[in-house]
Amino acid sequence: MKLMKLTCAAALLSSAATVAMADSHATELHFIMCGGEVRDADQAVVDQFEADNEGVTVNLEAVPWGTCQDKSLTLAAAGDPPSIAYMGSRTLRQLANNDLIVPAQIQDDVIYQDGVLNTVTIEGTQWGYPHAFSTKALYINCDIVEASGQECVAPTTWDEMYAMAEGVVANTDAAGVGLAGKDFDNTMHQFLNYLYSNGGVVIDSATGANMLDSQQTRETLEFYGKLASVAQEGPTAWERDQLKDLFNDGQIAMYVQGPWGYGQHNEDINQLVAPVPAGPSGESGTILITDSIVVFKGSGHEELAQELAQRITSGDSQYDLDSSWGLTPILDYAAMGKTDLYYEDGIWPNFTATISTGGPEPLLEDFKSLQSVFTNMVQGILLEDDTVDNLVTIAGEELDDAL
Amino acid sequence: MTDIATEYAATGTKQKAKSLPEAVFAWLLIGPAMLFIAVIVAWPLAETIRLSFMEAGLGGEEYVGLANYQDLVESRKFHQTIVRTFYWMFLSVALKLILGLIGATLLNAAVPGRALFRVLVMPPWIIPMAIGMIGWLWLYNGYFGVLSGTMMSLGITDGPFEFLAYKQSAFYSAVVADVWVGTPMVTLFFLAAMQGVSRDLYEAAWVDGAGRWYRFRRITIPQIMPVIVSMSLLSAIFTFNSFEIIWILTEGGPRGATTTLIVDTYKTAISNFKFGEGSARAVIIVILLGAFSLIYLNVLKYVNRKYGTK
Repeated sequence: MKLMKLTCAAALLSSAATVAMADSHATELHFIMCGGEVRDADQAVVDQFEADNEGVTVNLEAVPWGTCQDKSLTLAAAGDPPSIAYMGSRTLRQLANNDLIVPAQIQDDVIYQDGVLNTVTIEGTQWGYPHAFSTKALYINCDIVEASGQECVAPTTWDEMYAMAEGVVANTDAAGVGLAGKDFDNTMHQFLNYLYSNGGVVIDSATGANMLDSQQTRETLEFYGKLASVAQEGPTAWERDQLKDLFNDGQIAMYVQGPWGYGQHNEDINQLVAPVPAGPSGESGTILITDSIVVFKGSGHEELAQELAQRITSGDSQYDLDSSWGLTPILDYAAMGKTDLYYEDGIWPNFTATISTGGPEPLLEDFKSLQSVFTNMVQGILLEDDTVDNLVTIAGEELDDAL
Repeated sequence: MTDIATEYAATGTKQKAKSLPEAVFAWLLIGPAMLFIAVIVAWPLAETIRLSFMEAGLGGEEYVGLANYQDLVESRKFHQTIVRTFYWMFLSVALKLILGLIGATLLNAAVPGRALFRVLVMPPWIIPMAIGMIGWLWLYNGYFGVLSGTMMSLGITDGPFEFLAYKQSAFYSAVVADVWVGTPMVTLFFLAAMQGVSRDLYEAAWVDGAGRWYRFRRITIPQIMPVIVSMSLLSAIFTFNSFEIIWILTEGGPRGATTTLIVDTYKTAISNFKFGEGSARAVIIVILLGAFSLIYLNVLKYVNRKYGTK
């Protein structure tokens, strides 16, 4: 009888231990971090989060951009969603429309820069916590420009930009400008930098209407075609981040890139940074791109994931990330009481001045089709496949299909 | 009943009793393989066919009948993709067969260092595809690549030339990379077949005064014809479904110039999450390849009959 009691007690103890272990494993948050690396600033928040929540572990999985968003979406669609993920905000509409994520609970004391929340807002609901923000500006290699016999002064209009590029081509071995035209998302992004600097709109934020087929788009595409004549050989084989190699190698005199470009360029290059020049119908602008933290539905840890998302995007943590990574400030840190801000001098005003005139990366459910619309149009003019009029008309129709 | 008849009847019963367990045993042997094939081939194929009648995406699925197929039939782009795929396949396979035949003939010749050459032909086949294609990406780069640099130094071009930037050059550059990958396998199979040809035939022809070209045409080719036909079929299927090469080099661009059916299917189903439309494309690939294989198998049967291989 005694043996029987002991056996029962041991069985009870072991099952209790098993349940306890199962519980501790059940509170593992799967965090997919697109970009292939975990930044120190984010890792510090995660470590603190784990320390503050006993029994909770965060399984951080860094996945390269090329496959990350597809992986997160596929996992979610297959019913095994990550708890939380850092992804491009362009995926939000697809995720939201398919009921795969829950709305973000952005706290009132987090004050974003103008236009940032538009990149995560769909019909009035915010679906992600913006976490990384980028604007673009024009980098100029003054050594090349001066070698061509020109003064290295930042062009403010497209005409000035073209004239400078033309002068470089005529008087040096370098190309005047670097253009991105590969089958890649930043072909669309690069084009939108110019479109938004010409007063163009892709989708009306109030009505959701397709505005692509416009005079501004025609002017922008025509300018792209003109730039192709002074650009590097074969722009359709290049994506934006590869252009930095040409810039560093002295093969192109200028190109449009994010603030991180400054640190990636050779130190011996005399570089000038300027806002993207303005087109005939607009003022200097930029594409406003954000990547966001999203909380997936159905992981069983939505509340914990929301808490982690709030922490990782809160003032101090976000500031650490922005300043250490060299990102355009995503929050209005001055309004939040921060002083001695990293983005007040140096090249930074070129990236912050155009925030108010910039436009968002369009939020479409089928964002890959959106990308194709722009890639087809841009490649069409770069390869001289069709007229500006036809290409823009076709792009407008294709965008209608994608909407 | 005589003793012999009794014995015969007994043996017959014994054989009958033995044959049933043998059949069961055979089924047991083949069962796991059949189950495996059912799970990894039959079920996905059935599921793909089912999905092709659905509008299926991340959010669920809805029956749409033949709508996905109708869209494809009416799509000019899809027709162009089919034509491009067959052109890609015929061109690439033809080059692989010609180069494979030349390579195998050279490797079969009694030249010094033949063993070394046989080893050297292998790398394109054994190097992981992704690594090989990254190498080709660099070769094709206009500013930093060897090919463009050589062309400039020889005065063929004035400046850098981006092989992957233009529709035609991108397509033919992808074909060259595909041929580079596929030729070694063809070469080695042809070489093995050539080594199986009896030396007596060549000696007899030589004695009769037949030249090299005549012996190659009238002895080598007919003797290895069944292998040529088999390799053509295999190579055609591999080339038709060749995905990594195009994806790494061009992702199907520029402006769809290198988009073949398999790339189009991947883009539709996996990149754009249009599982229904992607499945319809996949089913069409299966039908096209099935028909193609059927024709080829008939040709193979004819060739085997003609050249005496059973």
